[in-house]
Amino acid sequence: MSVLTPFRLDTAVGAVTVRRGGSGGPAPLVYLHSASGEGASVPMLEDLADDRAVVAPEFPGFGDSEGLDRIEDIEDAAFHLLDVLDRLGLASADLVGMSLGGWMAAELAVRWPERVRRLVLVNAVGLYVEGSPITEIFGRPLDELAGELFADPEFPLAQLMRELAKAEQDPSAVPFELLRPMLQAQAATAKLGWRPYLHDPKLPGRLGRIAAPTLVVHGVRDGIVPAAHARAYAEAIPDARLVELDHAAHLAVLERPVELAALVREHVGT
Amino acid sequence: MRFFSFHLMPYPDLPAGYDGPAWITCPNRFYDPALGAQLYNRYIDELLYAEELGFDGVCVNEHHQNAYGTMPSPNLIAAVLARQTSRVRIAVVGNALPLYDPPTRVAEEFAMLDCISGGRLIAGMVVGGGPEYYSFSLNPAQARERFAEAHDLIIRAWTEPGPFEFIGKHYKLRYVNPWPRPLQQPHPEVWIPGAGSVETVEFVARHRYAYMGIPYFHIDMFDRMFSLMREACRSEGYEADPLQLGWLVPIFVAETDSEARRRYEEHFWYFVRRLLPGINISPPGYTSVRSVENIVKGLRSFALHLQSWDEVVAGQYAIVGSPETVTELLTANIERLGVGNLLGLFQLGTLPAQDTRRNLELFASEVMPRLRDRFGATTVAGAPGAGSAPGAGVAEVAR
Repeated sequence: MSVLTPFRLDTAVGAVTVRRGGSGGPAPLVYLHSASGEGASVPMLEDLADDRAVVAPEFPGFGDSEGLDRIEDIEDAAFHLLDVLDRLGLASADLVGMSLGGWMAAELAVRWPERVRRLVLVNAVGLYVEGSPITEIFGRPLDELAGELFADPEFPLAQLMRELAKAEQDPSAVPFELLRPMLQAQAATAKLGWRPYLHDPKLPGRLGRIAAPTLVVHGVRDGIVPAAHARAYAEAIPDARLVELDHAAHLAVLERPVELAALVREHVGT
Repeated sequence: MRFFSFHLMPYPDLPAGYDGPAWITCPNRFYDPALGAQLYNRYIDELLYAEELGFDGVCVNEHHQNAYGTMPSPNLIAAVLARQTSRVRIAVVGNALPLYDPPTRVAEEFAMLDCISGGRLIAGMVVGGGPEYYSFSLNPAQARERFAEAHDLIIRAWTEPGPFEFIGKHYKLRYVNPWPRPLQQPHPEVWIPGAGSVETVEFVARHRYAYMGIPYFHIDMFDRMFSLMREACRSEGYEADPLQLGWLVPIFVAETDSEARRRYEEHFWYFVRRLLPGINISPPGYTSVRSVENIVKGLRSFALHLQSWDEVVAGQYAIVGSPETVTELLTANIERLGVGNLLGLFQLGTLPAQDTRRNLELFASEVMPRLRDRFGATTVAGAPGAGSAPGAGVAEVAR
């Protein structure tokens, strides 16, 4: 397992944190995190960094990344990520996007297909599928949400969320410092995905522009994004294949790092 | 000192078996339009009665898709009041500005109300409650920005000759030129309700408007809110006029203390346990993380957490008792808080019509005169918020 080291990167909207580790490989792998803002410790990335360069930018509004005040919607997000690629000198990268990050990766890939060598979308939001709504994530009790994000109720983060849920009954039960990152992450996500709810009506018509071979992963126990969304991505992207991951819920990157790393390696090569 | 009768127009008939929130997702099959038809007319009568009894004003407010307050359009109720009253100030507290797009709609409707009422409108402006951002699918991350921009647009629409162009971040209007213009010049008195967020208090102080403390908190919270407001005014280089401060509180008067509690308590608990749940929903980005921290701390003193009547009494969440008791409690609090506007909720939850009327009568005949003796009669000329200096007040009404 290689360690990812954080550094600050100045961008057009403000300074953001980027984590970087490993070297070589077929192309640099850029990981775009979910609405949970997982960044500091993602074992799957440390694993992948053993045989390639891995870069994980933290989106404005998450952690201590600045610039959310200059980002209004998903298109601004795509332009920000293009800016990040430029400043990191990445002419072409393998993009892996988790949930919200998957949506951003798709928005980037439809606009600048030449910048994406391989694409992996894990339980990506971004589409509206009639009859298969994305579960409400805003303002939901954290213990309920934990059951939709994780397949195993004993997974440490699921347990933490159930602990934090107690704060909703008695604010003094939980130190505010524990809640702060989650509130920040929710606020940043709301800015991009409150309305339309976690999708871009223009995205489906543009998915045909994606040139990269694409792997679409759906966690079969995902309680947030229904399987129909993965199918819709896989059908609309010209060179895409769909893989259903058993025992995985929404945050598959965290809960099933070994299986997912294997799928990523198989798709992007070594 | 000015006395207002504030009505929420609550829905008093949620099914006994329903224990969900009264907001956003409370199923609207529970709303019985036949009952609603009676309620609107009854509630309007209760507001009209306040004028007859000598109140200085009446207040209505805006909420959507909920059982707590059934006035999605307070302007409609205010229009009825404008015609059916002749003397009282009509305070719409307020219009949730980000819910009107373009917000020149507010400038227009408020100007209509001001003209129809002969210059009696008080123009309340609010960000809108957290639940409204769900009910309107409006991005909460833009709530404060939209409010500030809409406010500027409305004030300009009232005070600058039209047509002019307004190109803001959220509103882009090539022709701003509202007909009618408000009767009160330069514009009606402006009230802003708030729950103690520093940003709101500073905004109100800067514009020399009046700040209405949002109710259902422990009395100490109001003390902090109004101290904050006075400090903010001092930072702007002036002393807050008491008429820039309003305290909104449930009030119930009966012949004796025990009679008051006996008649009132169950209706109060219906309000707290059935209508308040859900009001405190704060969508992500609606307030800064720093403010959320304060709000989380403050929540413990919010009425939603009340368990016993002793706590209600101790925190003065409602002022309930004989005329003597109510006079005494209100006197002490008005002195402590330094407010010049008392906004009473005389109907709450399931409180029936007869009890509401009796409550209003006893308050008007037994309590209000004593408070007027103590704190002075209305000085409308001193009302804040319409001029550039405190006390410049509600400017002349051209009749």
